[in-house]
Amino acid sequence: MAEQAYTVASDSETTGEERSSSTVPEIAIGIDIGTSQCSVAVWSGSQVELLRNTRNQKLMKSYVTFKDEVPAGGVSNQLAHEYEMLSGAAIFNMKRLIGRVDTDPVVHASKSLPFLVQTLDIGVRPFIAALVKNMWRSTTPEEVLAIFLVELRVMAEMQLKRPIRNVVLTIPVSFSRFQLTRIERACAMAGLHVLRLMPEPTAVALLYAQQQQQNVHENMGSGSEKIALIFNMGAGFCDTAITATAGGVSQIRSLAGSTLGGEDILQNTMRHLIPNMDSYFSRHGINEIEKMGLLRVATQDAIHKLSTQPSVEIDVDLGNGRKIYKVLNRKEFEEVNQNVFEKCASLINQCLSDAKIEVADVNDVILVGGCSNIPMIRNMVTGICKKDVYSGMNPLEAAVRGAALEGAVASGVNDPFGSLDLLTIQTTPLSIGIRADGNNLVPVIPKNTTMPARKDVFFTTVHDNQAEALIIVYEGDEEAVEKNHLLGYFKIMGIPPASKGVPEINVCMDIDASNSLRVFAGVIMPGEQNPSAPFMEIRMPTVDDGHGWCAEALNRTYGSTLDLVTVQKKVQH
Amino acid sequence: MCCNSALTIPPPDPCFSFLPTRPDVISFPVSVSFRVRHVFPHGPSKSIPDDTAQLSGSDPACFYDLLGIPETGTLLEIKQAYKQLARKYHPDVSPPDRVEEYTKKFIRVQEAYKTLSDPRRRALYDRDMAKGIHLAFSARRLFEFDELCTQQMEDKSEWKSRWQSQLSHLKKRSMYKDSGDNMSWGAKMRRQRNESS
Repeated sequence: MAEQAYTVASDSETTGEERSSSTVPEIAIGIDIGTSQCSVAVWSGSQVELLRNTRNQKLMKSYVTFKDEVPAGGVSNQLAHEYEMLSGAAIFNMKRLIGRVDTDPVVHASKSLPFLVQTLDIGVRPFIAALVKNMWRSTTPEEVLAIFLVELRVMAEMQLKRPIRNVVLTIPVSFSRFQLTRIERACAMAGLHVLRLMPEPTAVALLYAQQQQQNVHENMGSGSEKIALIFNMGAGFCDTAITATAGGVSQIRSLAGSTLGGEDILQNTMRHLIPNMDSYFSRHGINEIEKMGLLRVATQDAIHKLSTQPSVEIDVDLGNGRKIYKVLNRKEFEEVNQNVFEKCASLINQCLSDAKIEVADVNDVILVGGCSNIPMIRNMVTGICKKDVYSGMNPLEAAVRGAALEGAVASGVNDPFGSLDLLTIQTTPLSIGIRADGNNLVPVIPKNTTMPARKDVFFTTVHDNQAEALIIVYEGDEEAVEKNHLLGYFKIMGIPPASKGVPEINVCMDIDASNSLRVFAGVIMPGEQNPSAPFMEIRMPTVDDGHGWCAEALNRTYGSTLDLVTVQKKVQH
Repeated sequence: MCCNSALTIPPPDPCFSFLPTRPDVISFPVSVSFRVRHVFPHGPSKSIPDDTAQLSGSDPACFYDLLGIPETGTLLEIKQAYKQLARKYHPDVSPPDRVEEYTKKFIRVQEAYKTLSDPRRRALYDRDMAKGIHLAFSARRLFEFDELCTQQMEDKSEWKSRWQSQLSHLKKRSMYKDSGDNMSWGAKMRRQRNESS
């Protein structure tokens, strides 16, 4: 998406052209950058293989440490101990921070991490810094991600013995288009070209489609359409999807996602152990960071143990006579995190109702992601779906395997056995619309619209003789406009004098094959064939960092004066 | 002017704020089609897919023709036809030099599938077909209206009863409008054609 607009014009751009003219297509690799762990996979010619780092790991921790002059990421770096990652020198959870402004609750929740996250709460990008030689050194999530991606790229190039340029990345469903541009920016910084950005559960859906197709070939499956519900919960995000699969075609019926993840469960549990945790650690001194690290590791460890045992003992010495000793049982843990589990359940129900699928019609329930080990999550999912969990997938590898499949398909690789005879029909994870009817978001392309898509809606003026109309484009599904992601704004000018409600303002949105969004808008007076002024075409998103601030300023400055109101099309004579 | 009389209709409750289109669309499919066609007259035709021009002109295919199934086709046949056509026209699998053209086609196939795979929408579409309104895309606004309503009404049963009450509401409204207009449907159509030609 929006390649032209956001890819850094680097030397790699031209070499890419040259390479593409060679005879053998370069097979794009699949990368799953998790909030906590990361993996890389590639189509080997007959199947998907996960790549390993020099320490023989398939899953690598997603972090970059700035301890020395040269930053080192979790691909190449060996931690002496987990506490080292929590010393303030390492930045992690960058996927949760990327493309967010400092008024975002997710950014605020990140303030209890060992590195520095500072907010001014005015809608600009947060200040993020790592502790280097006892000094806070600033960085950005894009930079951290780029450093990490470079390590992944070097690792893949060494193993595959060829240069890597094209990648398919998995992304959370809840990411806005602005966040996608930040991911693309990080990739460009790392010299990678994004072939596709796939919502995580749709990558899993593709793997499922391939498995079903194989079953048909081996005469194990019926070949009829199968409905699968995919629930994917990792450390940072929780995503669900409904897919209808037949003949290798995976048709995404609905998507739903949120920023809930293992990190929230961890923080809820930490707060349960130290109710005044935020004030306790707020000074962010070296001492506090160390204590916070101790608590974090102990809590994480306890949560892992609670997946297999009914209760766990937590014993942490925070110094200055402050000790935490507690026996935490599973029931208490579940009560502490009830809000998280409830939200997960509502995501599944929403996904089912959006897809207009009854629970009874679901053939398979696929549970993936790091949180799929938590008994309460399993019980909740199987409870809603009244079905056992599909067993044909490794929960930690499903997304990256799907991404690698997509990488091969999108690179134009053919498989003689038909294993790559696959297609994913994607849908929009979020609605895209404009501010209208006062302070509301009126969708032009509703969520779960099949892509590519092109839709338009007619609007009209709210004041007599209104000459200009401000079009503010948002993405999201909150009714109140400011709760959605701002993508851009522009004015329609030269509206001929008329009573309010008369001019017809056409707003058309187009998502093309490369998932790039364009907005067309203009005004036509009733009874006329031609627009009153030239139409406008805007590639979105046009906003940059600080868009939260920008949205607020827009609302304050213009408010009601240039609002649009949706009035439905009138009879045209 | 009829548009002014439409404006004097008391504002419907918020849930139905998209209502007034509906009778218009049903009775004046051509006008919608022309309107859409003239939306980007100055735009570079290469970058802006102008699907409606083809549609109202050389290729007046109905949804059934588009999917290549008979009007009696079952849901299973519709689904199979859709997936087959998706394999052909989806931009991910189409030949690189024909992506733009195939994307347009895919969007139309998608529209056809979306309508025919939903029993209620299919029934409405069949009814319009029977009335002789054949233009596939002219009914577009109708479906968008449907979607908005669907979004607003979570509960399916509630939805149905509202839908029925809406239908009767609509009938009344269109009658009111026709009488206020003093013009027959055919007269409107002729006038429409004259204006747009």
